[in-house]
Amino acid sequence: MSSLGRIADSVVAYNQFVTGEVARARANKKYAGELRARWAKIRQSVEWTQSPTGTKLPRLALPDTDEPGAIAAYLFGQGLPGEFPYATAAYREMYLERDGGETPGEEPMRLFAGLGLAEDTNARFKYLSRNQKSLRLSTAFDGPTLYGLDSDHEGVLGKVGEGGVAIDTVEDMLRLFAGFDLTRPDASVSMTMNAPAPAILAMFIAAAKRRFGPGCLKQLRGTIQADILKEVQAQNEVIFPVDASLRFLCDMIEWCVPNLPKWYPVSISGYHIAEAGATPVQQAAFTLANGFTYVELLRQRGADVNRFGPRLSFFLDCGLDVEYLVLGRVCRRLWAIGLRDVFGADAKAQILKLHTQTSGRSLIAAEFQNNLTRTATELMLAYLNYTNSCHSNSADEPFTTPTEKYALLASHAQSILLEESGLFKHTMNLFGGAPGLLALERQVEQGILDVFREMDTLGGVIPAMEQRYQRSKIQEAGHAYEQQIYSGRRPVIGLNRYVTDEPLPHVPLARTAPRRQRLQVERLTAFKKKHAKKAPAALQRLENVVRGKGNVFDELLNTVEVCSLGQITACLTGVVGKFRPMV
Amino acid sequence: MNRIFPPDARNAPAAVTAIFIPLGDRSPVAGLVPGARFHPMAAPPLRLLTAVPLCDGHDSAITTINLELARHGIEVIYLGYHQSVAAIVRAAIQEDVNAVGLSSYNGGHLIFFREVVRRLRAGGGGDIPVFGGGGGTITPADARVMQRDGVDRIFFAGTSLDRIMAEIKTRYARPAKPARKLKGDRALARAITIAETATFTGDTPRSSGGAKPRAQVVGVAGPGGAGKSTLIDELTSRFLQKIPRGRIALLANDPSHPGTGGAILGDRVSAIYAQDDRVFFRSLATRGSLTGLSAAAPAAIEILRNSGKFDLIFVESVGVGQESDPFNVFHGRKLVDTVLYVLPPHYGGRIQLQKIALLNGADLVVLNKCDDPRAHAAKAEIQTRLDQNQRGQRLHATTAATHSDPGVDRLFAAIAELGGLDPARGGEKACQMEVSP
Ligand code: B12
Ligand SMILES: Nc1nc2c(ncn2[C@@H]2O[C@H](COP(=O)(O)OP(=O)(O)OP(=O)(O)O)[C@@H](O)[C@H]2O)c(=O)[nH]1
Ligand SMILES: [Mg+2]
Repeated sequence: MSSLGRIADSVVAYNQFVTGEVARARANKKYAGELRARWAKIRQSVEWTQSPTGTKLPRLALPDTDEPGAIAAYLFGQGLPGEFPYATAAYREMYLERDGGETPGEEPMRLFAGLGLAEDTNARFKYLSRNQKSLRLSTAFDGPTLYGLDSDHEGVLGKVGEGGVAIDTVEDMLRLFAGFDLTRPDASVSMTMNAPAPAILAMFIAAAKRRFGPGCLKQLRGTIQADILKEVQAQNEVIFPVDASLRFLCDMIEWCVPNLPKWYPVSISGYHIAEAGATPVQQAAFTLANGFTYVELLRQRGADVNRFGPRLSFFLDCGLDVEYLVLGRVCRRLWAIGLRDVFGADAKAQILKLHTQTSGRSLIAAEFQNNLTRTATELMLAYLNYTNSCHSNSADEPFTTPTEKYALLASHAQSILLEESGLFKHTMNLFGGAPGLLALERQVEQGILDVFREMDTLGGVIPAMEQRYQRSKIQEAGHAYEQQIYSGRRPVIGLNRYVTDEPLPHVPLARTAPRRQRLQVERLTAFKKKHAKKAPAALQRLENVVRGKGNVFDELLNTVEVCSLGQITACLTGVVGKFRPMV
Repeated sequence: MNRIFPPDARNAPAAVTAIFIPLGDRSPVAGLVPGARFHPMAAPPLRLLTAVPLCDGHDSAITTINLELARHGIEVIYLGYHQSVAAIVRAAIQEDVNAVGLSSYNGGHLIFFREVVRRLRAGGGGDIPVFGGGGGTITPADARVMQRDGVDRIFFAGTSLDRIMAEIKTRYARPAKPARKLKGDRALARAITIAETATFTGDTPRSSGGAKPRAQVVGVAGPGGAGKSTLIDELTSRFLQKIPRGRIALLANDPSHPGTGGAILGDRVSAIYAQDDRVFFRSLATRGSLTGLSAAAPAAIEILRNSGKFDLIFVESVGVGQESDPFNVFHGRKLVDTVLYVLPPHYGGRIQLQKIALLNGADLVVLNKCDDPRAHAAKAEIQTRLDQNQRGQRLHATTAATHSDPGVDRLFAAIAELGGLDPARGGEKACQMEVSP
């Protein structure tokens, strides 16, 4: 049995434990008394606040009951915010305002941005952060960078700076974050980067050290996606064979845990799985299973789950399907149970920290202004899951890298929900324990466990992947989704319902001008020329480490000083070979 | 009018289920439901090439389109995502497709499509129309520019799948005619298409004359998922590394869908070393043939052999069962010079091994997936089985999935020796860069 079978069993066992506790609470007077006393204490500890209109509100809403069975069901089945099994939330207060509205909780906003050359994205970061409370810089890279190619690679010029920022060298990385104090406590940098993640993170660190000195490592806070399993399954940015990719990843994680203590070196992502077509249940099941696989791999290398566990983070999609009302909640619960009961992790390592992005695929070209409403609805669902961070898509998503206007609207959508509306700032746990949520949670959880068991019979995540299991499921579901749209089974306003004859308005596009693309190539050429003497030796050292047993990430920190991303990729594929893609 | 969604979006096509054949389920007669009948058709299926451009991994649209095309009886040769202009053009020419469909999302489509059209023209495939889509990222204004540059058709966001299928079927259905004008790989590819059509319509494929050239033809058989395609690709890389000149041809047979007659021929996706002008790769759908090869395969082999262009030709059969004999080892004229039989370690046991007829007839027997713990015991068992044949057959152990596996090196050396390929001298046939403009 792969660990997925044991995890499914542990969840069933945990649910039986909860049922048992409920029965005991009802049958055993002494236990009932203890629970009531505990419940009373919890209630007493709840602080009160006041809405602007003068209504007194508890900062934590709890089920209105005194019945011991119901108390047990809530405390063990759902958990208080910040308590096992974390269905309600990872932390106690989440978005609640503090000090009478002076300070927010952790600001979840992370707006994914990237376009053109480094300074174009830098300007976009400045534009966005002017309109946000904290410094949250989330980076989108262009196609060549995502595939580890330099901007001068044959045939890629037209894609340079499209859909994200072009980064070839450590110098581009310096330009990207110029002017931002990344050591500020409220600063956080995310990078959507996968196969070349180790080289890109190494460039980031090298650039940060140049600006803030070597001491900055303890202060740098952020996330790099680096989730290669979902790349094989859904996003298709794999460069090296899977075993080599996993080694590079694990080397990076092992380096980051002690050296970059505030950094999340992997973001285990379901977003791409869902956007490629998977159902919400498949998304959750494949993503959690990938996460458990990383835990196993790291443990096999001798790493301690209590040290690396807290540095794993997650990323889910949030669309309009009803399952999204509970997806984050269910995932947190299953992760906590699996980590505690199968991997023996302690409390800090049990918590699933969640980033959410609203669904890009739910946004369509026809009547595209409706996309504002779709995104706002999805945001609401994401917050009801108490996501730790969140990206909201722009209404012009189907056409282009977001233009300023729509990116700002997307940013403000989050601010309106969190800051302007009273929904999330006064009272924590709006709906937890409600009948609808409970019913959905049960069904979604069951669906996820069924997928775990199916993958278990195939031998676990990696063997299933080699058999194309995840890819075929995702493709089937993606096909069904499109068929549902065009058969009218899945209503899409403006596309298959309430269609008007309005012509498509002219939508401004954010595209990179050819002369900018050539400028990027010129910069790269200058960098290569400058380091032409040192690069070969640096690449040779990298090759030696890869052939040996050393930590590849450790060496990359040196390599990036004199080598470009494309040079590094070519060196690595020369040693470990290329990934053989699947349909 | 910039209406980007069609008015027919509301029309409901009948619900269908996706066609999917997981790798593991592809045996013994790959993908064919026992008893399934092929619908006789008036015309041979359309053959289309589909792909996603370089630095782009958005494959959800194209995989949906592929499934729909196959459901509509079309043969799709899918090249995969992150594909260069050169790879797309090479594949279009070698596969002699009716048209090329591209799905582009990561921008740069104006340049990319234009380059595909330009290089197709330069490489002797100017008659192959190029069409595609990319949701909202390709605007109507872009499409006008692209059309001016020679792109045939762009399908905008919101176009219903039924409408796309109907249009493709009417726009790109054209019978393949023998064409004297065609040159190089395209001429070769067209000859194979004509042979396929002849088989389809019941005519006997043109038999080829000419002197017997010395290309070595290796037929590769084995159960579904044994690693045949992976192994052939690794052997291709050895050919490219070790034989400095000369060309190699690959003929990949894959099952058609029994119900619709369509097919998704995906072997090119995983053939990472076939992306080289020294490689000629052709996919053949079985079109109802149950022998493990397309009925046109014998003719295609002759065409490739007699072209005099190749030193080495690999023919991959679909996954075969215990009694299959795709290359006529036991009956009739042997179709290939060398039969290579690939087994995975999980073949069952001694009894199953006894029943595999091709273990008697194969010239080379390979145990692949030697990274599997069961391989050790399997090696001894298979060698014992081969010793019974008293033909001096030696078992090759490979792990094709590993980069630079020494077992594959040895296997390649054995093949090269059988075929008289001299690594030092290079292949006999001059390398002909037919495609690159
Ligand atoms: C799904 C999606 C993803 C998924 C892709 C999963 C997968 N395996 O396919 C994920 C989440 C992984 C993803 C990642 C990225 N994405 Co994306 N993605 C989308 C999204 C939301 C939908 C595209 C889609 O598949 N639609 C479903 C298809 C079936 O419908 P359709 O697009 O309307 O197409 C219709 C027709 O055009 C036609 N059609 C399409 N292709 C073809 C081909 C042929 C031959 C035919 C006949 C018809 C046809 O069929 C459809 C039915 O009518 C779009 C935005 C949007 N809402 O459109 C962004 C979008 C395409 N992505 C974008 C970007 C930038 C990226 C990233 C580069 C982000 C980054 N920096 O990391 C990465 C790159 C990933 C990679 N490896 O290349 C940008 C591109 C911007 C640009 N060109 O300027 C978009 C527009 C979003 C945005 N505004 O930023 N993405
Ligand atoms: N572990 C392991 N897997 C391998 C090896 N060789 C191939 N595979 C995997 O086995 C699966 C099937 O490989 P293919 O090369 O497609 O097999 P095939 O025999 O061509 O399959 P069909 O054409 O479908 O019959 C793929 O997932 C390969 O990655 C190997 O040496 N070891
Ligand atoms: Mg095969």
